[in-house]
Amino acid sequence: MKKFRLSIIFVLSFALILSACTTPAVETPPEETSEETTLVVWDQFYRDEESKVIETLNAEFETAHPGVKIERETKVLADLQMTVKLALGETDGPDVAQVNQGRSDMGALVEGGLLLPLDDYIATYSWGNVFSSSVASRNSFTPDGKTFGQGSLFGVSPTAEVVGVFYNKGIFQDNGWSVPTTFEDFETLLAEIKDAGITPISFGSLDGWNAIHEFSAIQHLLVSLDYINNLTYGVNNATFDTPENQQAAQILSDWAKAGYFSEGYAGIGYDDSNNLFKSGQGAMTITGSWFAPELMTGTDQEFGFFLLPGFSGKATMAIGGVGVPFAIRKTTEHADLAAEYLNWMISPRAAELWAQAGMVPAMSLPEDSKIETDNLFGETLLAWDTINKNNAVGHYIDWATPTFYDTLVSELQKLLGGITTPADFTAAVEVDYSNYLLEKSQ
Amino acid sequence: MTTGSRAYPGESKWKGLLYLFPAFLIYLLFTFIPIIETFRASFFDWNGFSESRTFIGFGNYIKLFSDPLFLKAISNNLVFILFYSILPILIGLLLSALLSGQPIPGFSFFRTLYFLPQVISMVVVGVVWRWMFNPVSGPINQFLSLVGLDQLRQAWLGSFQYALPAVGSIGTWVQYGFCMVLFLAGIQRIPIEYYEAASLDGANGLKQFVYITVPGLKSEIGVAMITTMIAALRVFDLIYSTTRGGPGDSTLVTGFLIYRSAILNNRIGYGAAIAMVLTIIILALSFLIRRMMREEQGKEA
Repeated sequence: MKKFRLSIIFVLSFALILSACTTPAVETPPEETSEETTLVVWDQFYRDEESKVIETLNAEFETAHPGVKIERETKVLADLQMTVKLALGETDGPDVAQVNQGRSDMGALVEGGLLLPLDDYIATYSWGNVFSSSVASRNSFTPDGKTFGQGSLFGVSPTAEVVGVFYNKGIFQDNGWSVPTTFEDFETLLAEIKDAGITPISFGSLDGWNAIHEFSAIQHLLVSLDYINNLTYGVNNATFDTPENQQAAQILSDWAKAGYFSEGYAGIGYDDSNNLFKSGQGAMTITGSWFAPELMTGTDQEFGFFLLPGFSGKATMAIGGVGVPFAIRKTTEHADLAAEYLNWMISPRAAELWAQAGMVPAMSLPEDSKIETDNLFGETLLAWDTINKNNAVGHYIDWATPTFYDTLVSELQKLLGGITTPADFTAAVEVDYSNYLLEKSQ
Repeated sequence: MTTGSRAYPGESKWKGLLYLFPAFLIYLLFTFIPIIETFRASFFDWNGFSESRTFIGFGNYIKLFSDPLFLKAISNNLVFILFYSILPILIGLLLSALLSGQPIPGFSFFRTLYFLPQVISMVVVGVVWRWMFNPVSGPINQFLSLVGLDQLRQAWLGSFQYALPAVGSIGTWVQYGFCMVLFLAGIQRIPIEYYEAASLDGANGLKQFVYITVPGLKSEIGVAMITTMIAALRVFDLIYSTTRGGPGDSTLVTGFLIYRSAILNNRIGYGAAIAMVLTIIILALSFLIRRMMREEQGKEA
């Protein structure tokens, strides 16, 4: 009896361990029925509005492709970034996954040989008419993953983003202010708003990353598109320690000293500063068009959007780009179907659904589209169209090196806190940049 | 008849080992093998998912000790020992002495209340305190304004001067309850006669505390020191949910640097090397404290 009980304990505990080890494998579908093909897709559209767009597109894809079943998994971007690198190396990993742009994500995966080059499909689906070469280069790497912006296409992006200025229309009207058309006017306006006892720019640097946008939005007005391209892609001996970057840093630190940012901005997070702006505490905020949907519901205030205006006599360029792209696992058995899915995600129908959700699509809207554009969304759409047509779509500069994001955040906080000078700032960032170029050339 | 090794005649000596087997297997799978793998990875230049990795010997370790970020992170961890370990032990001693004297109405209520921070998930603690420290809507700045101390208002978590003490004090808030409960249990073990004799001899409360309570709690203080110090050295979640190492690198700690290097920047080998150094520091400190405690006890005997 005793022996029997003992062996039961032993067997049970062993079975428990075994089952704990094999649980992940159980999650994959047991066996595909004869003619059904399952396409596993991982995306990061977890917010309600976004998720509905994907669900609609997936359902329509399944209807249009009988016998195809889409198995969708949604994660927050940070979780996706962490897990997708391992999953794409597995033979039962996702067939299609959203892979973040830049060196530490897409670049590293290309280097590891885990992504399928999409060059063959560009002609098949006439993608040349869907997105410009500047957009394509953002999703391109050389096959060794070392050179960004050239080589093969590895992903297609459904949405677009542009960083500009959201403003509170009510506050502007009450005080007789109008949208500035030059950077000089913009700075005069900042002083006027401050004098009126209102916070000119809602901003919080506690989370760090949005400080990069604040700095780089000004930087984009001072430099050329070529420079931003060279810096981001690490070509043509680009350096960070330039008079223009110093000037941008100087302007940003002057704004901080003049009190143009929210009180205690250093201790306020991104979402908190957005909430301050949404509740009417602050005349403007500088951030990306992705903030628009949130400002269109749940508030009695009315908001507008404009591009940060250029210095008089100089063209406007803005930070912008396309959203996290969909990519295909290199070892997938359904490459053609996966490409078909990618094409579906950047179809005119997708453009319409994204616009309905208040997000700027990377593709043009169909001619007969009935999307209402007489609102904040329309203003962000117009801003994107403007920079896209004028070839003035800049970059998120934190893609430039794998550690650029951390370095920029840390150095910008020091600059804003008055710990370092603009010259110290550009010099410190240059150390990171030149180290990376050196490492890359070896 | 009895042979010592067989306490229960008729039973196999393998049986005991068999009982240990499941726990050992879990330990092997989820603790021991990962440690060995981390140790191995620390000698490679590896992004964590590529097939190929390059052996670079002690390269990661050599780079580590000239990395100003690592040195800054280690020194911040040492500051955290003050907030995570020393302050909570002092506060815990004081509170346990106060709570253990006479029967106080609502004693167990207060004991639970003080212990509560220890029970809450660290991420929740971080989110709550981020709100407490919020410069605009947070209660701390609002309280300062209320009592007319407007000039003391700070952007706490974003200030180069105050961010580290601010985050540190969250640690104090979390840890002191643990120390207190530990010491309260320890005090019950000290014979009440000591206190009676002392008060007959005219020793006041303070003297009783210094000469009876503190020496009587020596082993509990040792345990508290080891656990809280380990917590101070491996702190990660609190930084992750409050400052993410900022402003600048003024609250950067080793745990967060490991995460940043290994997970965010795809430098698994470098992250693993930092993790190994941190592990060695923690082991050495724990060993040192235990050694000290044993010597102290040896002296008494």
